[in-house]
Amino acid sequence: MEIRGGANPATFDRPAMPRADDSENSNAARRRQPALRLVVPAPRKGAEKAGERDWSRLMAAAQDGDRAAYRALLEAVTPFVRALASRCFRDTGDIEDAVQDVLLTIHAVRHAYDPARPFGPWLVAIANRRIIDRLRRQMRARSCEIEFTAAHETFAGDAANFEPDRGTADAAALHAAIAALPQEQQQAVRLIKLQEMSLHEAAQTSGKSISALKVAVHRAIKSLRKRLRAGEDAP
Amino acid sequence: MTETQKVIDALVAGATPVRRLRPPLVRALSWLALAGAILVLLAIGHGVRSDLTGHLRQPVFVVSILAALATGVLAAIAAFMVSLPDRSQSWLLLPVPTLAVWIGTIGYGCLTDWVAIGPDGVHLGEALRCFATLVLTSVPLAIALAVMLRHAALLRPATATLMGALAVAAITSSALALMHDIDATAMILMWNLGTAAVIVALGGLFGSRLTRVPRHMP
Repeated sequence: MEIRGGANPATFDRPAMPRADDSENSNAARRRQPALRLVVPAPRKGAEKAGERDWSRLMAAAQDGDRAAYRALLEAVTPFVRALASRCFRDTGDIEDAVQDVLLTIHAVRHAYDPARPFGPWLVAIANRRIIDRLRRQMRARSCEIEFTAAHETFAGDAANFEPDRGTADAAALHAAIAALPQEQQQAVRLIKLQEMSLHEAAQTSGKSISALKVAVHRAIKSLRKRLRAGEDAP
Repeated sequence: MTETQKVIDALVAGATPVRRLRPPLVRALSWLALAGAILVLLAIGHGVRSDLTGHLRQPVFVVSILAALATGVLAAIAAFMVSLPDRSQSWLLLPVPTLAVWIGTIGYGCLTDWVAIGPDGVHLGEALRCFATLVLTSVPLAIALAVMLRHAALLRPATATLMGALAVAAITSSALALMHDIDATAMILMWNLGTAAVIVALGGLFGSRLTRVPRHMP
């Protein structure tokens, strides 16, 4: 039943087959025709008329209450309208919503169609109207919305949100573990890890050599890791 | 089954026979016939202005009345044309030439004569009486036009409303020019086009809620 957007949308979109009476001029035409065409050739008048006459006839029958004709018409125009909508929307949900809008409008104003006139322009005008309406609505909605940046997502993430009691308990455990370290390692951790000094700055502040600080931090972290892991396993 | 297929099923289930709209020209002419009837009734009830024959000898007056009537007729035709989706928007240009002529003969009489202070004290000016004629002419015409063009709400609401308002304004103005002594064109245009602008603005604000199609759908 369902034809996806890529399908050939409508009979009158398809270029007409060459007719028999064209054959006399066909050689000359072929010579004139460039090998590469960047645009789709315009549909021939005949094919366009035939497809539209068909839809026109179906719509005239639908206006008289013929439900089978109405169903045939709506199912025939749906892929065409979907193709029109897919030029303006990327999201398939939006495309389907636009198609349904157009179908509902066709239903509401079907008495305004004059079967003596071609159906194609009538349909395209209605479809464009509804598609533009939907685009405007989307733009209006988007102008009131702010897109999430990485920062929003990070701050909203669970990992970034400590529960207060658990967070303070962790911090307290860490501070207690640091306090239990030997004096030299304590100072190295405070300067380099907590106050985020560079090794040079920490060396100047503490009066120790860079390599001594490195060793102290290494040992401190090792024993902190051991102590905190032991604390986690204990309960 | 997809949502679109469900919509099609619902629409087919609700496909009762409908009466086709008559051609836009015929509908425009029937509205103009109503306008003519209202003008004749008002002329009988109120009487034409006393100095009409004198005024009909003035070319400016005749041009102004003819231009207003022509603007009314052409704007009505344009309104019925643009209310259909497959008609060109160029129909909107149809009343522009006559509108330009009409605007060229515009006067400000009514706006400056709301209350007259004469030797016998304060009394209501001609403006109020001409406002009454204005309402009597334009309200029924506007309601009739709104009913006849209601399907355009889904298609080209703003342009159809604008053309309709112009048609009503032009007809009303010629009615007033034939029946009242003072020139009311400015007031009528402001009244009718102002109302239309308010309606279009309200439609812009609430339109999507008012004209949502599936309210009566099965």
